[in-house]
Amino acid sequence: MIDLLPHLINGLTLGLLFALIALGFTLIVGVMEVINLAHGSLFALGAYFALTVIAGGWFSGTPFGAWWLSLPLGLRYVLALAIGPALAGLAGMLLELCLRPTYGKPPLYGLLLTFGAALVVEELIRLIWGTGEQNLALPQAINSAVLLNGMIFSTYRFFAAGFSILAIAAVWLFLERTSAGAVIKAGAHDSEMVRALGYDLARLRLLVFGFGSALAGLAGVVMVPIWGLRPHVGVDIVIPAFLIIVIGGVGSFWGAVIAALLVGLAMGITGAYAAAWATMSMYLLLIAVLGFRSRGLLGRKSALEN
Amino acid sequence: MISLSDIPARPAAWITLPMVVLATVLLATPWLLPAVGLYQYLGIEIAIWIIFALGFNLLFGYTGLHSFGHGAYLGIGAYAFGLFQHNVAVSLWGGLLAAVLTAGVAGALVGAFLSHRRGIYYALLTIGFGQIFWFLAMKLHRVTGGEDGLLGIPRPPLTLGSWQVALTDNRALFYFAAALLLIVVVLGWRLANSPFGRVLQAIRQNETRARFVGYEVWRFKWAVFTLSAILAGLAGSLLAMAQQGAYPDVMSLHQSGLVVMMVLVGGGLVSFWGPVLGVVFYFVARDVLGGLTETWLLWYGLIFMAMVILRPEGLAGMLHGLSRRRPRLQPAPAPATEAA
Repeated sequence: MIDLLPHLINGLTLGLLFALIALGFTLIVGVMEVINLAHGSLFALGAYFALTVIAGGWFSGTPFGAWWLSLPLGLRYVLALAIGPALAGLAGMLLELCLRPTYGKPPLYGLLLTFGAALVVEELIRLIWGTGEQNLALPQAINSAVLLNGMIFSTYRFFAAGFSILAIAAVWLFLERTSAGAVIKAGAHDSEMVRALGYDLARLRLLVFGFGSALAGLAGVVMVPIWGLRPHVGVDIVIPAFLIIVIGGVGSFWGAVIAALLVGLAMGITGAYAAAWATMSMYLLLIAVLGFRSRGLLGRKSALEN
Repeated sequence: MISLSDIPARPAAWITLPMVVLATVLLATPWLLPAVGLYQYLGIEIAIWIIFALGFNLLFGYTGLHSFGHGAYLGIGAYAFGLFQHNVAVSLWGGLLAAVLTAGVAGALVGAFLSHRRGIYYALLTIGFGQIFWFLAMKLHRVTGGEDGLLGIPRPPLTLGSWQVALTDNRALFYFAAALLLIVVVLGWRLANSPFGRVLQAIRQNETRARFVGYEVWRFKWAVFTLSAILAGLAGSLLAMAQQGAYPDVMSLHQSGLVVMMVLVGGGLVSFWGPVLGVVFYFVARDVLGGLTETWLLWYGLIFMAMVILRPEGLAGMLHGLSRRRPRLQPAPAPATEAA
């Protein structure tokens, strides 16, 4: 009998991180009705920017770079946690500007444009940061091991899981308890009506895209110490995010969270018995769910079906 | 934007002018390629991908079903061809048949699952199934050779009755691929302009209406998916011969996305010939840009993005726009909408 506990914990952490990525994705899908295939690239960009912030990449060799590296790693990590997502958000806004001509056309065009953008971002990453696998340096406080029940766990997994829970809660509070959140939800429900009520729809879309991209970037910074950082990571991550949205139901907040946890657990448990097939479980889950519920667990009818 | 239905077709014709042009170009290719500093193998690659892209466009451009996992059937065809040569007999026709049948069965099974789905859910499920096949190819080491691929696939000689010709030479294999390509073009053209093809286009324009008109839409969706998988399998068997091996990378999401990009850049949404233009453009761009810069995919990606934003009707649409003079003095006719 294999002891499942570590695999369950791994799966749950993975699921929470997936949820963080999927939330940004589902916000964008809900409000813009654009499937953003470049979401994973924004995830990667966030992580790479964080890498540069932590390692002082572009200023190394200058006095500023030396001063920067003399700062404590913890401080640089916290800064990276803020700057990485912020820059990813800006990149997302740039992408939204490119997307504008595709509004009002079939959803295919948004899908294709973001597919091209994903390709471009990946090549840019290769150009700027190189093609090799890289590591994000972590402060000691969150990068040690704990002995639990006779097994060793990396504290980083607990940090990542706790951080994701906080971030998910923050996004939920933002959507449910603030007026800006109400406008976003209204925009997802009926964007024409929001415009008729006098809100600037173009600005709303820009901000939502930026916000969703920043969430992807945040997930990137938190997740790459577990997944590894390579130029291809964007494509590797966009598929699970994509599947999660579909399993959970396009545009549904709790659907995305539940589906992310399911996918994470499925991968964790499969990993316990047949590690090589862990990724496969995700697709089988997709086919099982869509076989019975064509709009996912909590999905509603949307324009994307046409 | 113009659409496929707006470019007038001559449905009665089996052979049209572009086909004659294509045949002439194909015939001359083994001399043209070295003349512009390229190599014979490129011609084979282009012919294979055109077969693949034409089949894909029946699904993508004509029926409006967006498959992002189509590389899987190309790969299945390649593996089936190779396994047939290794385990059954070294035979060209047997291998082709095995590839076409295997890809067709896989396509029929997946198609049966997909055909009741619409829009983005359809696209997503194709990604899901494509990834499953890719994953199986990577993990079933004993059958497929895993990440190393299935190696040592021979190029069996072409036998027609007592006449036999070796395909080991790249030029001979090119002519074989080109002959198959021309057959696919003629049959594909007839199919696209047949009543069946009209129903496919009706489904693209409005699936609900096509259903209300009385067509069992899912059967058409299933048939066209299976058909495009069969053509992908045929292309895959040629690919196995060309590479003398079968590798899982053609089944990845990346490669499945490439065929979508090729078809769109070429103008598959507006023309039967779009995939042909798109494939040629991609491979020439790869070799020309790739010779100039390491990061040619960056440039191809940017071209693609610009195309989606500015000219979604692709190269074929641009050519069509150029060939049409501008008799726009009289009041313009009502814009030809999809509903017309």
